[in-house]
Amino acid sequence: MAAVDPAARPLVVRPPTPWHQHAVVRSIMYHGLVAAAALIMLYPILWLVGSSFKPPDEIWTNQTAILPIEPYPQNYPNGWAGFGGISFATFYRNSLFYATLGTLLSVSASAVVAYGFARVRFRGRRLWFAIMLLTLMLPTQVQIIPQYIVFKQLGWLNTFYPLLLPRIGGSAFFIFMIIQFIRSIPVDLDEAAMIDGANKIGIFLRVILPQLTPAIITAAIFSFYWTWDEFLVPLIYLNSPELYLVSLALRTFSDPSGQTDWGAIFAMSALSLLPVFVIFISFQRYLVEGISTTGLKG
Amino acid sequence: MAATLTKAKRRKSANFGQDNLVGYLFIGPWLAAFFLFTLIPITVSLVLSFTDYNVLSNSGDFIGLDNFQRMFFEDRRYARSVNATLKYVVFAVPLRLVFALGVAMLLNTWRRGVGVYRAAFYAPSIVGGSIAVAVMWREIFGNDGLVNFTLNLLGIEGPNWLGRPETAIWTLIILAAWQFGSPMLIFLAGLKNIPRHLYESAEIDGANAFQRFLRITLPMLTPIIFFNLIMQLISGFMVFTQAFIVTQGKPLDTTLFYALYVYRRAFELNEMGYASAMAWVMLMVIALLTALVFRSSSYWVHYESDGGPA
Amino acid sequence: MKNRKLVFIVIAIALLVLPTLLAAAQDQTVVRISWWGSQNRHDRTIATIELYEELNPDIDIVYEFQGWGDHWTKLSTQAAGGELPDIMQHDYARIEEWVANGLLMPLDGYIESGVIDTMNIADSSLAGGMVDGQMYGINLGNNSEVFTLDTDAFAAAGLELPPLDWTWTQFEEIANQIQAALGIHGIGVLTSDQLWKSQYMGCCDQWAYAPDGMSLGYEDDQPLIDYYNRLLRLQESGGMQSYEDSVARGDQGVEAQLIVSQEAAMAYHWSNQIVAVWNASGPERNFVMYPIPRPEGGQSQNYIKPSMFFAVTSQADQPDEAAAFIDWFVNSVEANEILEAERGVPVSSVVRDALLPNLGAAQAEMFNYLGLIEMDNSPIRPADPAAHADVVGNIFGPEFVEPVMYGMISPEEAAPYLREEANRILAAQ
Repeated sequence: MAAVDPAARPLVVRPPTPWHQHAVVRSIMYHGLVAAAALIMLYPILWLVGSSFKPPDEIWTNQTAILPIEPYPQNYPNGWAGFGGISFATFYRNSLFYATLGTLLSVSASAVVAYGFARVRFRGRRLWFAIMLLTLMLPTQVQIIPQYIVFKQLGWLNTFYPLLLPRIGGSAFFIFMIIQFIRSIPVDLDEAAMIDGANKIGIFLRVILPQLTPAIITAAIFSFYWTWDEFLVPLIYLNSPELYLVSLALRTFSDPSGQTDWGAIFAMSALSLLPVFVIFISFQRYLVEGISTTGLKG
Repeated sequence: MAATLTKAKRRKSANFGQDNLVGYLFIGPWLAAFFLFTLIPITVSLVLSFTDYNVLSNSGDFIGLDNFQRMFFEDRRYARSVNATLKYVVFAVPLRLVFALGVAMLLNTWRRGVGVYRAAFYAPSIVGGSIAVAVMWREIFGNDGLVNFTLNLLGIEGPNWLGRPETAIWTLIILAAWQFGSPMLIFLAGLKNIPRHLYESAEIDGANAFQRFLRITLPMLTPIIFFNLIMQLISGFMVFTQAFIVTQGKPLDTTLFYALYVYRRAFELNEMGYASAMAWVMLMVIALLTALVFRSSSYWVHYESDGGPA
Repeated sequence: MKNRKLVFIVIAIALLVLPTLLAAAQDQTVVRISWWGSQNRHDRTIATIELYEELNPDIDIVYEFQGWGDHWTKLSTQAAGGELPDIMQHDYARIEEWVANGLLMPLDGYIESGVIDTMNIADSSLAGGMVDGQMYGINLGNNSEVFTLDTDAFAAAGLELPPLDWTWTQFEEIANQIQAALGIHGIGVLTSDQLWKSQYMGCCDQWAYAPDGMSLGYEDDQPLIDYYNRLLRLQESGGMQSYEDSVARGDQGVEAQLIVSQEAAMAYHWSNQIVAVWNASGPERNFVMYPIPRPEGGQSQNYIKPSMFFAVTSQADQPDEAAAFIDWFVNSVEANEILEAERGVPVSSVVRDALLPNLGAAQAEMFNYLGLIEMDNSPIRPADPAAHADVVGNIFGPEFVEPVMYGMISPEEAAPYLREEANRILAAQ
């Protein structure tokens, strides 16, 4: 499996390779296998996008097909229209605002906190770390009502504060993740910087942070998606439809006991994947670059 | 080769004199958020777990350990939800990790088009939990859906996946294995962080690909494997969305995951006291398991630097 | 450091911008309202609200809307926080629980003073909103259970349409004949708790729940056992979709019913859903609406059920204005011309008559059908007891319907267990 091997280019003289190890043959095998698997992985998305072009009476009668018999792009304007004049333009604006700001907050705070846990020794460190992990293990569902009452006392209902401000402490998931990445960075560089007279903050910013690019990019991709997709907390705190997020709007389309425009639901669901996908595609480039920058420094 | 590894294994601690002020400065944001926003709800939910608090009446009496007695000895559905959740954790967590690591290694290359592949493999993980997605998963596991169509091609007659009590949970396990995108990305990021000079010197030593994997990739990746294991374990126990949107716990409560049952008790029946008690039992179980994994980590997780919190 | 500066700037801007987004008009009376529904209902309700605001410039109606499940999650959280809106859309199966917890306000005073005008509303339409002799919910539309028949499928199978007072025995025969002739199901699963509740109406003039809601309303399990044995026979023959298949298909809303995709010739649903069924099927299809079959020699199992209510909460800041809005919503022809009976057949006879000339085919069928049920004059059923959700969610579904339909236990064994457990829960309320 050459795939494991980022250093495949020959650095030493080798004996001639048998045919099945030939670069071209291996490349064909690799692409054949991976592309086939990728296609299976993409099937759900293809089906979702295909179905979003089915007219309403085809969604339930022509379910297994990916392609519609009669394409019906009207689903998109129907869905985009939203509710009573509040269109998806509003919901997208809100979601982009929330997901961008929420990601910035939670990823940058997580990096700072993770550095504290990973590279500084202080009294109570193990205890706080354990407590932080414990907060991950209690379902949100049982915390919602007391939290609602807290935010009500603060006068923050129907604003984005209850969604954004708790992120100033980062997220336990990302903090732990970044800790693990920091711990796999050798301390030699820290020490060299310290000899040069840098303090902890300087080490964090100039030595550790640049090496964390892959971890931070990964955290940003997740954070954006998770924030984009979040619905329980926004549902509770955002009352005005002008503040609704895309995730909430999607859940507001259907009524199990009434009339539902499934075409519009499919169209808007498919469309809602786009920002997440764009973020992934544009950020994953930096994951590749991670090799040449951080890898060589190590 | 040997030299690199010994060097890597050497743990250094000179860097880590005690520094309370700086430490608290760095974790300050988290502490602030914890005390301001998390501590009260968590404490309240712990207190509620000893009451029969009802959301609509907004009141409850202390009932001691009655909630716990009820869940362990009287509530048949509770036992089923434990059963479903354990089954899911035991199968889905390892499957997901293996897929994630395997695919991450497959995609950790400079070949052309790998970005597209990465996106494709990540795609099922970002479809979210909308109602259209529920329809989609049902369609895929439906009688003439993708899964059974594929099985048919292989000459196997597929079962009624979502309708049979024996198979319904497997659809959710397969679904979880399918959505390995997030641990995969973390593995990829971890692979990127392995210094290249280690491979170069190993190559000079004449190690083949498999040896390089065993001697460099795997040990260097253990902090990330450890992280993914812990996180998948936690999220495995807390699995909710898939059952919530696709199976709703059916049939015969075989997919009634713990968190789904907590949600039902809390919000459909407004029994927040009982739901909190269930949530705290789960917290204790996960905490115990996590502690065990942490204990074991000193035997198999390899850090470049000492002084992590655990 | 650059990154963090940027973050702070973004936060600062956000803090400045957000409050202005939220600033509401100052000198108007603000009435908050919350409902569940789909896009169609949201659009129509918002348009109606805008009309009301135009007619009453001193009133600002602030609205929230969400899907069915989210509605209850959100509203119960608001209830615990003392933040309920003035008006909330409410449901027949839940209203008693909310009243029992003191969360809704009795409206009798407003009815007596004429703020809510019930002159043109029949008592049978109002009764569903009564709890313990007081009015808590104003009915927004009449509904009743219906068996919809695909007349083209009946013709294709060479079957005559049955008489309107058809029996369960006739129904079973028809379902099996359709399966034999067309190879499709007669109907989807009939395991709804609604049919359990009305089973005792048809045979024995009883109701699943006792009038005080503290126990079940029946002691003889036999009618329930007979009914489920019938379902098991139909499941076996294919006259009815198997329970297993219905679980695999899931509850995906009205449009996913088998009759829509012509996988069944009949469907069981609520009368207001005919519009959705017909829309999803296409205009070229033909349907007629039938009452629930009745037991041999028994009476009708149908009754008029409010599709949903508007209720004024006890946490309302503006109960007077809320009541005035509800009155207009129910009685105004103009409002209902926008709403187009989407919530069911309007309860006001004046509104009904005004809408009649402009109805579409599906709606006309629905109006007719409810007229038919009303003539049957069946007794009014009380709202479900507070523990209804517990009984259905924790006992009826998982301990009775599912094990019986999967053949793990016989109806004879399961029915007594259902009765005992349900009685235990009801008594403990």
